[in-house]
Amino acid sequence: MRAERAPRWSWALYALLVLVSLPFLLPLLWLLVSAFKTSAAIFSSPFDVNLAHLSLANVRQVFHDYPFARQYVNSVYIAALVVPLTMLLSALAGYAFARLRFPGRDVVFILTLVAMMVPSELTAVPQFVAFSRLGLTNSHVPVIVTQIFSATGALAVFLMRQHFITLPPELDDAGRVDGLGTLGVFRYIMLPLSRPALATVAIFAVLNSWNDYFNPLIYLSREGLLTLPLALQRFTDPLGGVYWNLTLAAGVLVALPVLLTFLLAQRQFIESLAASGTKG
Amino acid sequence: MTRAARPGRPALRRAQREALMGVLFAAPFALGMLLVVIVPLLGVMGISLTQWSLLDAPRWVGLRNYTRLAADPAFLRSAGVTAAFTAGILALNISAALALATLLNVRLRGIGVFRTIVFSPVVMPVVAWALVWKFLLQPDSLLNTWLSRLGAGEVNLLFTPSTALWTVVVIEVIKSVGLNAVIFLSALQGVPPELHEAARLDGATGWQVFRRIILPLISPTFFLVFIVTLIGALKLFTPVYVLTGGGPADSTTTLIVYMFKQGFQFFEFGYASAVATVLFVIVLALTVAQWSLRRRLVFYEG
Repeated sequence: MRAERAPRWSWALYALLVLVSLPFLLPLLWLLVSAFKTSAAIFSSPFDVNLAHLSLANVRQVFHDYPFARQYVNSVYIAALVVPLTMLLSALAGYAFARLRFPGRDVVFILTLVAMMVPSELTAVPQFVAFSRLGLTNSHVPVIVTQIFSATGALAVFLMRQHFITLPPELDDAGRVDGLGTLGVFRYIMLPLSRPALATVAIFAVLNSWNDYFNPLIYLSREGLLTLPLALQRFTDPLGGVYWNLTLAAGVLVALPVLLTFLLAQRQFIESLAASGTKG
Repeated sequence: MTRAARPGRPALRRAQREALMGVLFAAPFALGMLLVVIVPLLGVMGISLTQWSLLDAPRWVGLRNYTRLAADPAFLRSAGVTAAFTAGILALNISAALALATLLNVRLRGIGVFRTIVFSPVVMPVVAWALVWKFLLQPDSLLNTWLSRLGAGEVNLLFTPSTALWTVVVIEVIKSVGLNAVIFLSALQGVPPELHEAARLDGATGWQVFRRIILPLISPTFFLVFIVTLIGALKLFTPVYVLTGGGPADSTTTLIVYMFKQGFQFFEFGYASAVATVLFVIVLALTVAQWSLRRRLVFYEG
């Protein structure tokens, strides 16, 4: 925009940008610093960023006094199941909706659009009834299953379908002429061309899985089974007072893998999310 | 089957094989979705016609839960809270996202750093973000103390009924506005620069260019962002629940928090399902209304 005027006004623009950045950046920076302070220092010297005053004591205590390592493993393995399964199932279904004619296709696709719209919280009561009848409360099964087939899962199918529609059908035909079946076309031609779409799906699935709070809140009560979003709220004294130093240290440990992944892959991250919004 | 499989009808046989593969490809997701989303959706409507604590057998009560809802001041209040909350998030998020996108669209060295900063809370875990703000807004916290020093009197933003809801709105918008800003940004970058220049030469002001040229061109994106943000706000549970638990004095009890409390704290599953059904009907009505408005409001190129 009006690049010729940029030099004269750039100092003002930089000032404005810095000002606008503060509410986004400061809470994060403050979290990163406070997590390594003693409980007293968090309150008494919130602006002390002297690295010599920071220590790993909180982190050590989080792992030592609480089943936090266990809870971390829970979140990691659930994401490790949910993300690839979401990618696989959405790619398969998306390809079927985009390219294959089969009876009931339109009905099922419309149901997918409905599922995309239904917040998973709204169906919690019958889901809870069903899972408790099956004896699956206080297990990870309901948490995993609801994540894969949530609104995010339906959105993934929708995104994959839109993606496959944009690929020229001649590619499928060429594969068939070369003797590939449907599965072969999908595996050797379609999937390799779907990296950006699959990356978008993976991003949504990671955030969905890592952040899920509602379903673990309903299904999990045993400490050792908890996932990280709930575990973050368990650093309290018996009266419910919060041990802020431990909570903030644990918060950093929960945020770090996602933030680091984002910083490393931010271009693809932002571009794929932006693309999913502009293609509509 | 046997007829179609006869030799000499390869077209039909190929169609059948395609249908079989289609079913096989779609089935894993479709079956899961039916069992996990569609059947429970019907289940919610069914359970909403009963009184049920899960411990006893469900008792059929017809529409009594709905007549009870209509006369329940706590429910009506939570509907009002949800309306205010949703309108607040929608207005603040979309206007801030558009403003940020316009600002982040300038060509400046290092602009990418600012884009990253604005986007970074989006990937921050929801609960961690909410807990950071809960700490920052503790009674006697720095933020509250500063505000009272600025002459606002005794301030306790998150634990005062009149300010809690708007505080949650602002915290949520700071968390998630980066996503909408980036989506708007990529839409803005798709607007051909010749269009601005031509309009400028014709004497259009900045606002006129935005209103008459940019807004129509990005209207499909605007529309999508509007719906997604609206539905997202209606169902928003985690930040509200972590920040305030619905308090103080139910001032942040939205419909979804109310549903959770009725079902999973008071074990009134029939009543909770009635709340869920009402919320679903609202979401459905909004979506349908949006789709029918879409044709009139959205400008498609070509």
